[in-house]
Amino acid sequence: MKKVLSGNHAAAYAVRFSRAQVIPIYPITPQTCIVEQLSRFVANDVFDARIIDVESEHSAMAACISASVVGARTFTATSSQGLSLMHELLIWASGARLPIVMAEVSRAMAPPWNVWTDHLDVIAERDTGWIQLFCENNQEVFDTIIMLYKLCEMEEVMLPAMAIMDAFILSHTLEPVSMPDQQLVDAFLPSYAPDIAIQQEIPMVYGSVVKPDQYMEFRYKIDQAMRSAAKKIPEIEEDFKRRFGRSYGGLVEGYRCEDADVILIANGSAVSTARYVVNSLRDQGKKVGVCKIRAFRPFPANNLVELIGNAAAVGVLDRSYSFGHGGAIFSELRGAAYGRTGSPKIKDYISGLGGRDITPEVLKKIFEDLLVGSKKDTEIAWVGLVGEPLIKNIGGDE
Amino acid sequence: MLKPVIDRDNCSKCYSCWKYCPDLSIDIVEEYPAINYDYCKGCGICANECPKKSIKMVRQELE
Amino acid sequence: MPQLSLPEYEGVTPGNLGCPGCGANLAMRYLLKGLGKRVILSIPACCWAVIPGYFPNTALKPPVIYTAFETTGASIAGLRAALDIRGISDMTIVGFAGDGGTADIGLQSLSGAAERGTDAIYVMYDNEAYMNTGIQRSSSTPRKAWTTTTPGGKCGLWKREAKKNMMQIMIAHRIPYAASVSVGYPEDFIQKVQQAKREKGLRFIHALSPCPPGWRHDSSKTIEIAKLAVETHIFPLFEVRHGRYSITEKGKGLPVEEYLRRQGRFSHLTNEDIEEIQEIVDRNWEILKKTARVMVEEIY
Repeated sequence: MKKVLSGNHAAAYAVRFSRAQVIPIYPITPQTCIVEQLSRFVANDVFDARIIDVESEHSAMAACISASVVGARTFTATSSQGLSLMHELLIWASGARLPIVMAEVSRAMAPPWNVWTDHLDVIAERDTGWIQLFCENNQEVFDTIIMLYKLCEMEEVMLPAMAIMDAFILSHTLEPVSMPDQQLVDAFLPSYAPDIAIQQEIPMVYGSVVKPDQYMEFRYKIDQAMRSAAKKIPEIEEDFKRRFGRSYGGLVEGYRCEDADVILIANGSAVSTARYVVNSLRDQGKKVGVCKIRAFRPFPANNLVELIGNAAAVGVLDRSYSFGHGGAIFSELRGAAYGRTGSPKIKDYISGLGGRDITPEVLKKIFEDLLVGSKKDTEIAWVGLVGEPLIKNIGGDE
Repeated sequence: MLKPVIDRDNCSKCYSCWKYCPDLSIDIVEEYPAINYDYCKGCGICANECPKKSIKMVRQELE
Repeated sequence: MPQLSLPEYEGVTPGNLGCPGCGANLAMRYLLKGLGKRVILSIPACCWAVIPGYFPNTALKPPVIYTAFETTGASIAGLRAALDIRGISDMTIVGFAGDGGTADIGLQSLSGAAERGTDAIYVMYDNEAYMNTGIQRSSSTPRKAWTTTTPGGKCGLWKREAKKNMMQIMIAHRIPYAASVSVGYPEDFIQKVQQAKREKGLRFIHALSPCPPGWRHDSSKTIEIAKLAVETHIFPLFEVRHGRYSITEKGKGLPVEEYLRRQGRFSHLTNEDIEEIQEIVDRNWEILKKTARVMVEEIY
């Protein structure tokens, strides 16, 4: 069946097709439509799930955790302030090795209040042990949620994951979404039946106290699980493609990067705009490409480094600002590329914060900036600030 | 460290000591309360609550 | 056969990390005696997160889900939803939290759980301070008590505020069953646990649990003090079933001094302080008795 759906509603349908069982919900713009749609499904008796109208996002994640421990497939959705409020429990969920899946509609953090697209909320949670996949369009949102349940529930993974979509650009924009038959989804995603169950015969404790000589091994196992996830994501996509005819390139996807002089790295809906700009510039004979980061966690270091290897210059579109040396993706990519032979120049373009549009014109200017190259060594630029040059270089020639 | 000693002859088998022990260290053996010295922490509640004052807290020598 | 006034079943094993004379140990012991088997416990940060011991040991027979400090109410909600959809209906879910984790940081999630009628029992074991972190004041600390964060000093900075009335807060949520218990009255404690088990929805039990290191009394006096709290009417034992109150232990009405003078945390009280406390306790007792006499219609 094909429906014209917003990203939010696509997520809600995916949750229903995935047969999630316990769904704690709390409203926050712009994900509220997800929890409303799920409530309608249950109210109309087309979805057998237990929805809990909790009193905060923090409680939503707490309820996901306990429900998941006793073997229910769980889901919740949030954005910005709600995601931040969950912070300690995000770490709890991965520490407890629970395959919780969450839709995260990426939105700016207050103050000041701003409900539009910005990735800081997601970036701020990159150390929590969650798998983080960015979606480019509503079909990908739908497909990703289903794939994530399969990924997370694998024994070698058993980590929580968030499917990320841009606020309003995806969450509220209508696109056609193909939805397969329920039986086909069931065949791809069997029911969740964890080995760990609550028994009465054997005393069991979840989350006990450990001493310094025991803790590190638990964290090491999470690292191992995240590395397993990096291997499994492409495998699961292969399987998904065989069954449903769609895939998204695994961890990263290069578009016209093979012979590109200049590559732009981007995530989320901006990738879609970038593809269009790449085509337009290619028509003018410029050798450019865009590399989509689908998986931010696990961070696809090797895939990225390999993909950008032959380019002369690489730009990173950071839709957030992490208060270190440049944006998060920029810093992590540079760290990954350090010391490897043939590493191109990498420049950070902080753009689109708080929902400021990343238009084709803006991306064109960024590509041109990369093609020209800077005389001085300016690594970081802020793009589109009012009253400033479109590309404002920090700490160099302006 | 103090440990309780029960005077069986004076014990009325009310089982107050068993009832109030916070550490599950009083078992009932042949109808009499018996202290499990492996786990008793010497809190003295049993001695304090015994209605017949049949339990004395005695200094235990460290081995 | 010995005639025991309490069920024989023990859900706790000896050899746990509780202090000698720990009132909270008795609270858990009596709770599990009353509930028997088929129990899941959810426990946040509190003394009882540590008392069962370090991994891989545990002193509890029922399965335990430890949870973050403020989340007990949400945790039991998630447990019930999950067991429900998995078709398991014969397990008693218990949230077991301290006074800090209930009346302060845990109040939001408990309120949500109660408002939604979550089918679980919530036990607040009340040692009247944040004891696990070393005796800091909570909203459940009684007025004028010493704690490390109300240490008196030159400015007389003892706990200024009255003890938060959790029973009234929970009753205002119109839950089917709320009861106060004291470890000094195990038979009453267990009867109320068993009554709670018979009800459905969110059932609340407020368990007074004296703490020798925190209240500054000898470890042997825990039961004596737990009884005096009731006998002096400072901590009345009552239950509210669907809006109807009954006082289950009248108490002799002993002077509050009997209770206060036995605890080092009150050793700085002057005679005026004690008179003031006596007046407040007497007034509250009268109010409770009046409330219990009035026939409350079942409005919910």
